Amino acid sequence: MMNPSKMFNNFKNTILTKYGPNPAKMLIYTGVLGWFLSSAAQVVAIAVNDKIPKEQKMFLIPQEIGDGAVNVVSFFLVTSVIKNFASRLVSSGKLATPKIRKFLTDSGINIRTKKGWKVLSNFDFSKFNIKNMMNFSQIKDEYNSFKNGVDVIGMTVGSILSCNIITPVLRNKIAANRQQKTLARMNAIDSEKVNYPRGISMDTYQKYAALKYSIPSSSLKI
Amino acid sequence: MASISSIRNFSFSRAYDKFSRKLSRAALNAVGSRENLPTISNPKTIHAIDWIGKKLSSAENRLILGASALLSQPFIDASNKDVDLETRKYSVCRTIAKIIAGTATGYTIRKLCIKSIDAFTKSVSDIKPDMKFKKLRTLLTPTLKYTADELSQYKNTLGTILALGVMVFTNFLIDAPLTKGLTNAFTKLGGVRNDESK
Repeated sequence: MMNPSKMFNNFKNTILTKYGPNPAKMLIYTGVLGWFLSSAAQVVAIAVNDKIPKEQKMFLIPQEIGDGAVNVVSFFLVTSVIKNFASRLVSSGKLATPKIRKFLTDSGINIRTKKGWKVLSNFDFSKFNIKNMMNFSQIKDEYNSFKNGVDVIGMTVGSILSCNIITPVLRNKIAANRQQKTLARMNAIDSEKVNYPRGISMDTYQKYAALKYSIPSSSLKI
Repeated sequence: MASISSIRNFSFSRAYDKFSRKLSRAALNAVGSRENLPTISNPKTIHAIDWIGKKLSSAENRLILGASALLSQPFIDASNKDVDLETRKYSVCRTIAKIIAGTATGYTIRKLCIKSIDAFTKSVSDIKPDMKFKKLRTLLTPTLKYTADELSQYKNTLGTILALGVMVFTNFLIDAPLTKGLTNAFTKLGGVRNDESK
């Protein structure tokens, strides 16, 4: 078995090597972890709450898990697509600073024109990565600073889009759809024989639905 | 048929990463001109971008998310036609309260946790004779070689992880009552019916 002190050092060094040079990646993963923990905490809070009857828990817990999944997945998908795109803009040489442009011009990748810089018509940005160039070390510091900044901006734009626009709209739609379907089913059968959601009446269900939007739920990002 | 080892080696995160890279590559060739490549020449802008990459921690990120949430989410709630007008008004008040409470606690706790981690992530050369708890000051310092920027990001990461753990509890202990209090204040101010305050 590994010595605890060695395990602790390994943990610290893994964090350093994985996220030290890549702040945007850290922000994405801790963002995902944040959404996951806030959703999990909400589920646990319902599960351990003695005041909520078992029947209601069977209804509320899957709903919370569903909301949590929407939050986590949409945050991760949207944010990492935009961050990766921003990252590739820099690593492919499409977006650069004058110093990086000069380096690419000296290496024969960019061509100086009267207007600025261009590439040959057959140049494939998707296959090119500045980091793979032989003399990359000449521009490493300038490149890393610029790329980390663009990555973090990309990540921030992605998280704004995901947390503040896409997720709330998506969650509102899913919640409204779920509520309508359930109410329609409950209306379709005699209220005395209601068995979906298990064992609760339409009135109680409507109270749950209202409560769902009036207590800080998993939609509350930590 | 997929072998057991290929299933074991499958990672959603890796597969998704591959997919998003492919997508961004396709977008890369489609976006922008090849004849006039976008170049950021303004030194102030370059400096600002460098600063963001080095200094923007999860705390500032949370602040930006909160500020932008105030500019978007109340309008999304106000235009939600799936609920009646009174519910919409209440929902706007509650959303504003939730954003203010969540952002204030999220920012403060992240900042405090990053600061706490910093206190125990010192290099040996940083330790001064008058410092308290000298032995603990290097407790969280990595054993590998690092640059100042890498160490700063390391502290941000550990601080954020610690903050997330703390916020699982403060979410209920601080955010929830603060959101409720602010919602009541906003609904009172706007003359909106609030059944929850009763």
